[in-house]
Amino acid sequence: MLAAQRGDVLAMSRLMDRLAPWMARICGAIALEQADDAAQEALVQVFRDLRTLREPDALRGWARRIAVRESVRHAQRARAAARTHAGGDVEAALTADARDPALAPDVRAVLARLALEQRAILVLRDLEGLSEEEAAAQLGVARGTVKSRLFRAREAFAKRWLG
Amino acid sequence: MSTQPQQVWPSARLDDVARLRAIAAGLPHAAFAERVIAAPFETVWAIFGDLERGVPRFEWSVRSLEITRREGDALEILSTGPFGALGPRGKFRAIWRPGWCVMTDFAGIGQIGMAASPEGAAHTRVAHFEGSRWLGRLLRPWLARAVGRDLARLAAICESEAR
Repeated sequence: MLAAQRGDVLAMSRLMDRLAPWMARICGAIALEQADDAAQEALVQVFRDLRTLREPDALRGWARRIAVRESVRHAQRARAAARTHAGGDVEAALTADARDPALAPDVRAVLARLALEQRAILVLRDLEGLSEEEAAAQLGVARGTVKSRLFRAREAFAKRWLG
Repeated sequence: MSTQPQQVWPSARLDDVARLRAIAAGLPHAAFAERVIAAPFETVWAIFGDLERGVPRFEWSVRSLEITRREGDALEILSTGPFGALGPRGKFRAIWRPGWCVMTDFAGIGQIGMAASPEGAAHTRVAHFEGSRWLGRLLRPWLARAVGRDLARLAAICESEAR
């Protein structure tokens, strides 16, 4: 990690092997159709600012925060664009691919039908295994909000998953 | 309840070119360029990724490269500069796998990256950076021209072989 911070490209390559699949999964579940762009920008930010990270042990939390932030930003931007282009039929525009079984694996299709905030909390709690406090800090919301949002997200996920 | 196992979770696509782009963002002194070549990945990587026989065909600063040690994806390489026996000669450490190669000299001054990812069946996106910590950013404009010319030569070779 220290070698990567000093700009050793071999160490950066090894770090990339660890970070890229993990960040791709976070962005994939939150940003969905915008996941590729969100993951690319998140990864660029992580490597561009790597040398500014004072505590190497904080890498995972720091990188996760960037991945979540970029995913939410890209998904929000897409939602705004969908509102403009779809004349108000936002859900139809956002979940268009979710109804096509050839394009949409099951989990992806279910996630596409959840609200962005619900996807983000599911990723942090169920995929990443963060505590309520940690998830609240990452999303910048109160612990109680995490609790209620997670309850609704799990309920919505289960309902749609079970059909 | 918990949501689904991680292997079915949607994931962003972060191919080797996207990963190299991010590493280059962390090397302020490096010059980075990318280009789409009208040739399949196998044709392109057979030249771009062949350090001993392919690289000297498009890289102006290299007369020859010899792999002197190989352990998994880690290589040690001996290079001879454009003036042959007159040098300069250099020893490099590298990480090499299909679609990906990063290397640095033993002093950690010179840094090189190469990546390729298929874009459909008939095209390949390639990316390349070169950086030197010696003279840092001063050398960057000159390196940027050199890197662009390397990729132009590579494209000409690959597209001619693909015909």
